[in-house]
Amino acid sequence: MNIKELPNAEGFFGAYGGKFVPETLMKALAELEEQYNKLKQNTAFQKQIDKDYADFVGRPSPLYFAERLTKKYKGPKIWLKREDLNHTGAHKINNTIGQIILAKKMGKKRIIAETGAGQHGVATATVAARLGLECHIYMGAEDVERQSLNVYRIKLLGASVHPVKSGTATLKDALNEAIRDWVTNVEDTYYIIGSVTGPHPYPMIVRDFNAVVGRELQEQSRKQFGKLPSAIVACVGGGSNAMGAFYPFLSNKRVDLYGIEADGRKREKAKHSATLTKGTPGILHGALSYLIQDSKGQVLPTHSISAGLDYPGVGPEHSYLKDIGRVKYFPVNDESVLEAFHEVSRLEGIIPALETAHAFAALPKIAKLYSTKDNIVVNVSGRGDKDIATVAKVEGLTLE
Amino acid sequence: MNRLDRTLASLQHNKSKALVAYLVAGDPDLKTTIELMHGFVEAGVDIIELGIPFSDPIAEGVTIQDAHDRALKKGTTFLKALQLLKEFRSTDKDTPIILMGYSNTFMANHKVLESPQAKNIDGLIIVDLPGEISHKDLGIKNDQLHSITLMSPTTKATRKKAICRNASGFIYYINVRGVTGHSTLNFKEMANNIKEIKKSSNLPVFSGFGIKTKEDALKASASADGVVIGSHLVQMIEACSNQNNYKKIYNYLRAIAKAIK
Repeated sequence: MNIKELPNAEGFFGAYGGKFVPETLMKALAELEEQYNKLKQNTAFQKQIDKDYADFVGRPSPLYFAERLTKKYKGPKIWLKREDLNHTGAHKINNTIGQIILAKKMGKKRIIAETGAGQHGVATATVAARLGLECHIYMGAEDVERQSLNVYRIKLLGASVHPVKSGTATLKDALNEAIRDWVTNVEDTYYIIGSVTGPHPYPMIVRDFNAVVGRELQEQSRKQFGKLPSAIVACVGGGSNAMGAFYPFLSNKRVDLYGIEADGRKREKAKHSATLTKGTPGILHGALSYLIQDSKGQVLPTHSISAGLDYPGVGPEHSYLKDIGRVKYFPVNDESVLEAFHEVSRLEGIIPALETAHAFAALPKIAKLYSTKDNIVVNVSGRGDKDIATVAKVEGLTLE
Repeated sequence: MNRLDRTLASLQHNKSKALVAYLVAGDPDLKTTIELMHGFVEAGVDIIELGIPFSDPIAEGVTIQDAHDRALKKGTTFLKALQLLKEFRSTDKDTPIILMGYSNTFMANHKVLESPQAKNIDGLIIVDLPGEISHKDLGIKNDQLHSITLMSPTTKATRKKAICRNASGFIYYINVRGVTGHSTLNFKEMANNIKEIKKSSNLPVFSGFGIKTKEDALKASASADGVVIGSHLVQMIEACSNQNNYKKIYNYLRAIAKAIK
């Protein structure tokens, strides 16, 4: 079996994935799958996406040599895949550009989405505005608070933000509420899931649209350093930026893949978001995957300094890749993330998103494993403007 | 043949409609849950659906979500719910009990469901499990439990047959496009869909979601073999729990039972 041909017809990657949803949504998922499979083969659709990627998103995103970071780690050459330079400031737009065309083709009038850090909310509101579609964004009340800049951006783009107060009032609860909206308005509403999570076919669709990152990377590495990278490093919450960067390389075992999870605060061991490293298989939001839960099957509250990684689940394909050992996953804590956030800002003139800073925080551990002949690519999933207030607050500063 | 089979057979024999009542285990507390269950039976309820609280109940409206939250905050676990049933069975040996909840909780507690304690249960409704598969596909090895499947107004004709083949006990028809407690009922669509389901299955079809009043129940039972009352009961339980007096609920159920039977 070719690893890149997954998921199977039932939506499973090995033991993980599937469609664990209320019956009312089964028809919508089947229609989505059918429409997507049809469009995937359609060259006009591919052309339209490529054109949008080029003219609206600003693709391809550069592969940038990080000279001072390389000097610091004294080993492999470190390259940055600059998804932070995309329109709206993160990789999230790669997916929404594709899904909105699907929505339009399916004749849906109303768009809904969940968001954690707000990046997916912004990316969804952006494409909805462009096509003149009604748009509703569900966001945990706690995230509305800590990502106020993105909340305002979403509103400027003409979408409504619905703060979700139930449960832990973060990304997981925003997903619950978006699913409830979808169950209720299934006939006229398209749900743009923002990560490689949720029921089949979403993990596949979101991966495919983000795989443009990995494909560009293949081409750029050959052109810029004459071979494929020795390793790719990406942060993993739900896992869409990582899956997009990894996917084209899955069957090439010479490329090492590292997924970096959020371990939360150093001193508070019980609360983290390191699903693959510390979780157990379970079912949440439509898919069987690793899950942060107690022994009785209740989902546990998580913590991460970055709202985008503060999620108890993870995409089912990552669970599969962990089990077969194709990708190595490990967590880094909030403290090392903040350190990396400052380091990258000062050394490279790039303020990374706190999510992305997790990938950078893993460099001390990973760089050691490679020599000066190796090239390591860090996927810079997003820019850090949205996190400046959070970082300032942690460091005891108040911004006007 | 378990309690559910016997109850369904006797309802059919008497040409009587079934009244199914839902409540969340541990809301407001486990002791009251038992009291309520006995009260329900006395008021004419034929089958009890016992909700197993879950942290992320995606098919529930606010009323039942809050009840799940309250029950979890009280420390309700799957195991405690099963112990509750043991106590309930000490005096009620006949009323069928169906556990209703989410895949993750059932999967995490599969060992309990395979143990002798599961004898007190008659079936499972797993809200986020597609109708083509059953609890056995989740790794729960228990042939004695009915796997109640759900169908909705959006269930495609092509899937209906496969779901009917997999169904056992009764078929749960979801009345609305929406979460529990949703209020717009379309009785005509309900009647048509139930008629359609009956072409592929001999099992009784019960109608649930959005049924609040005696009139709703009466209209639904014109086409369905039984009605399920959920959110409205949970709402009443919450309101009555302040005074710890649930008589109002029993009167409400008694009136519905009388109307549909």
